[in-house]
Amino acid sequence: MTENYGIALLYATVSVVLLAVLLQLARLLRPKEMRPETDQGRQIKYKTYECGIEIEGDSWIQFNIRFYVVALIFIIFDVEALLLFPWAVVFTDIGMIAFVEMLIFLGILALGLAYAWRKGDLAWVKQSAKNAGGRYHNAETERVL
Amino acid sequence: MDTIASLKYIIPELLLTALIVVVIVMDLLLRKGKESRAGYLTLWGSLLILAYLIFSPAEIHSLFEGTVVMDPFARFFKIVAMAALVLTVWVTFYTESLRSYFRSEFWILLLIANLGIFLLVSSIDLLMIYLSFELLSLMSYILTAYLLKDPRSNEASLKYLIYGAFSSGLMLFGFTWLYGLTGTLRIDEIHSAFQNGLLDGNGLALVVSFILIIAGLGYKIAAVPFHFWSPDVYEGAPTPFAAFLSVAPKAAGFALLIRILNLVFSGEGALSSEFWKIIPETNWTLFVAILSVASMTLGNFVALQQTGIKRLLAYSSIAHAGYMLMAVVVLSQAGISAVMYYFIVYLLMNFGAFFTAIAVENKSGDDKIASFAGLGYRAPLLGLMMTLFLFSLTGLPPTAGFIGKFNIFASVIQAGNHWYWLAVVGILNSVVSLWYYARVIITMYSTNQEFDASPLIVERPLVYILIILAIPTLFLGIYWAPVYDFVLNSLHFFLPI
Repeated sequence: MTENYGIALLYATVSVVLLAVLLQLARLLRPKEMRPETDQGRQIKYKTYECGIEIEGDSWIQFNIRFYVVALIFIIFDVEALLLFPWAVVFTDIGMIAFVEMLIFLGILALGLAYAWRKGDLAWVKQSAKNAGGRYHNAETERVL
Repeated sequence: MDTIASLKYIIPELLLTALIVVVIVMDLLLRKGKESRAGYLTLWGSLLILAYLIFSPAEIHSLFEGTVVMDPFARFFKIVAMAALVLTVWVTFYTESLRSYFRSEFWILLLIANLGIFLLVSSIDLLMIYLSFELLSLMSYILTAYLLKDPRSNEASLKYLIYGAFSSGLMLFGFTWLYGLTGTLRIDEIHSAFQNGLLDGNGLALVVSFILIIAGLGYKIAAVPFHFWSPDVYEGAPTPFAAFLSVAPKAAGFALLIRILNLVFSGEGALSSEFWKIIPETNWTLFVAILSVASMTLGNFVALQQTGIKRLLAYSSIAHAGYMLMAVVVLSQAGISAVMYYFIVYLLMNFGAFFTAIAVENKSGDDKIASFAGLGYRAPLLGLMMTLFLFSLTGLPPTAGFIGKFNIFASVIQAGNHWYWLAVVGILNSVVSLWYYARVIITMYSTNQEFDASPLIVERPLVYILIILAIPTLFLGIYWAPVYDFVLNSLHFFLPI
């Protein structure tokens, strides 16, 4: 029982020490003038914190929505690859059933790709809604894109 | 039972999955303007699955290494959800507001949501419960935002998403407490662990986990104080989906609530005896009773001030969650069967009220109660049926709603005199609810107001759907024995040995 609390105490101590060390290290690197009263300080203090580096440009720009679609499709196949590795390891133990199961799984994933394809989400340069089979996009979204 | 051997017992789920795949493939092959064919396929496919479910044997099996169970209790709630799905899909063809968004995705997402419900009502593994819970929730968020150009729909979906993510996170946290206490994810093993005295001195941890889990489930069944999403979502969502949302996920939430309360938070011999015992360390029944009273009272009193029919029905559905919780609190066979019977009745009358609202909305373009003015003269049959549904929602004889409520109150009174106060609160609340339901009826029939006297033409099939709902609403108030027998036969749980 007591050892468990010991672990918790160790964990808390390490967290605090690590945080203190890291903050001190950051102090060596970060911009010195942080007081908002000064001009230089105001420039830095009132900026959005991203990852510690001074930001460049405005984040309020329009991203193309297609990046998201491509990223989503990528994730589907990323996860698929992840599942294929353990499957391949135990494949010989299970045999035919594993093969059929994976075929069904891949079939459903392929259906997802076919869906994206048919709805015109794979075409980077959008054709007009009429001949792309892209009834997914109406005239209004076309204009926004 | 291992994975392969389990497959032959989950035929409804497999059929539903196959239907989803087939509808997607069909959607990809269909030409523009022919989307409704995918909808008809969904309708017929779901009807077949419903028929299969009704005629499938009522057996108890533990499947997939004990993560999923097939029992009559789960089958009952699957039938309720599937019937709700069939009606929802059917009515989409006659909903004006959905016309400009007629795409197969609506039906596909509904089917996937229903698959989530199927899994939710039959899983007994905490991870499986969470997974199917999220499957249902995610589909609900998308379907709520289905009216892309309607800002109310988008707003509703965002609120729903934020609220839902938060409460399912709380529920997951509650699950981790249970896991921490017992070291297992299967709720039947958690039950055995508690019986074996693992709980000694851990009563407080159990209370914390109970409250966290109730937060997640309370959100699904829209019980106060976890109800805030429901009026906005019902108002913003496409009306057929709002109807679905008010019955099917609520049924799934209740099924899960009953299963978890029965297996995890009850003493030995739960449900094999007439009354379940509670675990001495925690007296959680009072907590659920407070939830029930709060839901009833707040739902009914806030409904008094509503001017929109969908918001009114949303608050009425919160109040109904309160009535049904009342029968869960007493922890008896009679209470659970009353809840199950009430869901059949609630499906009929609530869908009836929502679908009448669709018929009116098709013409008026809004969901104001004022649009119902003169409905009793403009469409006499519609007005008559709406009156029946609203009387049934109030619980007036001779409608099905009366029998449903009577069963609930009877089970509460049967549970002993320490619950009498709950029954009294429930009955007083029913009286309050009469006022706002009657207000709609008065709007429909009053001649002291100006209204467009031209006859309201309703599409024939929509009238047929309403008649199909109205007949059992009346009939079950007069002769309910076969349905009640079916409910009693469905009251068999998977119990840990």
